[in-house]
This record gives sequence, C-alpha cells and structure tokens, in this order.
Amino acid sequence: MESNLAAGLAIGLGAIGPGIGLGIAVSKAMEALGRNPEASGAIFVPYVLGIALAEAVAIYALVTALLLIFIK
Amino acid sequence: MQPSGGSLVNVRIDAEPLFSLGPLTVENSMVGAVLASLVLLAAAWWFVRRASLVPTRLQSLIEFPVEWLSGIVRTSGGHRWRGFVTFVMALFLLILVANWLSILPGVGTIGLVHHASDGSTELIPFVRPASADLNFTLGLAIVSFVTFVSWALRIHGIGGYLKELRGEPAYMAPLMMPIHVISELSRLISLSMRLFGNVFAGEVLLATMLALVPLVVPAVFMGLELIFGFVQALVFALLSMTYIILAVGTHETEEGLPEPARERAAAGAGH
Repeated sequence: MESNLAAGLAIGLGAIGPGIGLGIAVSKAMEALGRNPEASGAIFVPYVLGIALAEAVAIYALVTALLLIFIK
Repeated sequence: MQPSGGSLVNVRIDAEPLFSLGPLTVENSMVGAVLASLVLLAAAWWFVRRASLVPTRLQSLIEFPVEWLSGIVRTSGGHRWRGFVTFVMALFLLILVANWLSILPGVGTIGLVHHASDGSTELIPFVRPASADLNFTLGLAIVSFVTFVSWALRIHGIGGYLKELRGEPAYMAPLMMPIHVISELSRLISLSMRLFGNVFAGEVLLATMLALVPLVVPAVFMGLELIFGFVQALVFALLSMTYIILAVGTHETEEGLPEPARERAAAGAGH
C-alpha cells in the first residue's frame, strides 16, 4: 500500500522537472526552425540528444516507481 | 514479483523462462532478440542478393534508414566517422526492430498457461520484445561502453585516457577523478535504463489499455509505441555516437580549429 503511494509520488513528482525541460527544449527548437528552416538538419541531432538527456530523469523516476511496485 | 492487490493486468518486470538447454535458461526475451536479429539478417541477405543500381520499392525501403543515419553520422562524426558508422547503424537497426516487434500481434499474448502452486494461473508468452528486458539493454550498453572506452584508449593511449579521467589541474585529482569515473559509469546506467524504462513502460501501458478498453483505443497507443520505439533506437545510437566522438575528439580540437568553428564547417559541408 505505502509502496504504491510512493511509486505514484515518485513518477508524479519526478516528471515535473523533465516536463518543464522538454517544453523549453521543444519550444526553442521550433523557434529556431521558424527563424531558419534550412537549419533543420543541423538542429536535429543536438535536439534529439538534449531531449533524451532531459527525459532520462523522468525515466529514472519511472524505474524507481516500477521497482517500488514490482520488487517486494 | 507479481503486481500487488487485485490487479487489472499481469506484467512481470523480469523475462519469463521458457525452457532450459543444459545450464542455459532460455527466456522469452531471448526469443525476441533472436527474432529481431533474424529479421535483420534476412533483410541483409535479400539485399545482397537482389540489390540493383536502380532501386525497387522494397530496396529503397531498406536503403532509406541506412542512408539517412549515415548522413547524420557523416555530418557530426568528424573525420573518423567511417570508423564507427557501422557500429552506430547496427545499434540503431537492432534496437528499432526489437522495439517494433512489440507491436506485432501475438507478441506477448500467445503463450503457455502456467499453473502456480497456489492455484493462480499465469500466461507465459513465447515472445517478449527484447528491449523490455534489462539484460538486453544492459548488454547493448556494455557493448557501447567498451566501444567508446576502447576508442579513447586507441586514440589517446592509456596514459592519455587516465589523464583525461584525472582532470586538468593535477592537484584537483582527488576530487575530480571520482566524479569523472562515476560520470563514465553513469552513461552505462542511463543508456540501459532509458531504453528499458521506455519500452517496458510502453508494454505496461499497452496491456493496461487493452484491459480497460479492448477496442480502438489501444490502436492509438500502438501508434505512439511506433514513434517511441523509433525515437529510443535513434537516441541510443546517437548517444553512443556522441560518446565515441567525445572520446575521440578532445585532443584533435587543440591542433585544429576551435570546436564551434569545426562544427560549423562540418554542418556547412553537409549541405
């Protein structure tokens, strides 16, 4: 019971930061694309990598939540 | 290892054993990994036999991801990109096929019903998508780790690599060395956990949606899984590429152009 609550809190709180970060990253990338559409190739790789690194934090929270639920 | 309480879905975080070959226990995620490799091998075999200069439709379907990813590696990989383009490509294609296996009908739903000693029954599917098993993703991450460390050793030698781990002012070494070692090892954890977390969470999501609303709604999430599977395969391959570039690149920038100018030159050459 407690571990289910902890799992919900872990992923819920842990997703706040990455969510904000991803929003900023995507908005900046779109802004850059709007200003300079030819740069899409140059923007793509750093964009995907930055998103992956921001998302990793949420994945850590997710793994923590999964461990709390599945491993007793 | 079972979800607690009266649960809606039955998902296990570890792969289920199917049968054992002597000391080796064959799990259903191994079947998924072998299946993914076979798909790639069949595509490669077909391609080598049937490829022509004027591509047919199926041929350009196989050529497209290869050309696209090698273009990315060429533009951002520096002048040694030929050394690791095949490695990045192999990681990408294997993970992509392994991820997309989870959307095929029958994967995760066709299997043996196992009767536990306490009377409960449990379905053990024949095939589990390989990336939904931590052993597979950790294995790939170890391969990637060994590759970028061996690139660093090859380019800079053991002394150069240790010097990089030590950090710049030598008197800071007691503080910086543990941080550098941990940050190298954390790449291993983050690479494997990212892929496993995404694919396993996708599996749980699909199972939950199938249990809640069996019609139409799961199709939307399967479409999402297609995108996530592709993005995660790309991210794993590109992060491995970036780690190799970081391992290779630091010394060459000192003699050549400064880093931003080099990047601009590389981006300009790509267009």
